[in-house]
Amino acid sequence: MESTLDSGGGDKHAFHMKNRVSELRTAAGLSQGELGKALGVSRQTINSIENGRYLPSLPLALAIARNFEASVEDIFIPEGD
Amino acid sequence: MSYAQTAGHRGATAAILVVGGGGLAAATWIGGEHGLALGLVGFYALAGLAAYLWSGRDSDVGAILRAGGDERQRRLDRAATAHAGLAMGAAAILGGIVSAARHHGDIGQYGVICVVGGVAYVVSLATLRRRS
Repeated sequence: MESTLDSGGGDKHAFHMKNRVSELRTAAGLSQGELGKALGVSRQTINSIENGRYLPSLPLALAIARNFEASVEDIFIPEGD
Repeated sequence: MSYAQTAGHRGATAAILVVGGGGLAAATWIGGEHGLALGLVGFYALAGLAAYLWSGRDSDVGAILRAGGDERQRRLDRAATAHAGLAMGAAAILGGIVSAARHHGDIGQYGVICVVGGVAYVVSLATLRRRS
């Protein structure tokens, strides 16, 4: 799913982002609750990230990437890339 | 601040309701309105119990009621608090305008609320800017 980060500068600077969290979590055989527990966040937050409603902070994005032994760029992909 | 969840305290919101409501009920009793005071005690006791029970749930609202949660839940809480502050500020300004019209220019207690809100905003902005 896709997240949007509006920098406050209007549509010109809006940042659209897809992510592969759901795909990687499913491949690892983890539930949303188990991934949340591993990262120290709630099941609801994992669900929001996967559905593109919430764009995580940089530290959380790094923790997600580290958990899947991938880079942030491998998981969070700007739209158009 | 960490992105991770903080546990919070299950009785956090319940305590605020019970202490705040208890204070209001005591003041009402001292003011001579005993029936209303007893009604307030019952209302805030039920509200505190509901908050305590809800705060035990695995949900966004449960985490916020515990004054805990992860970065997203804390952000939700801050955004909701900001919206509530805007609504209260708008109500205070509107109340002051109506009061001035009805009481020969006297904005009454609305003025105190507006001053507290305005000063708190300026101080918060000055403090937060230094940290960001």
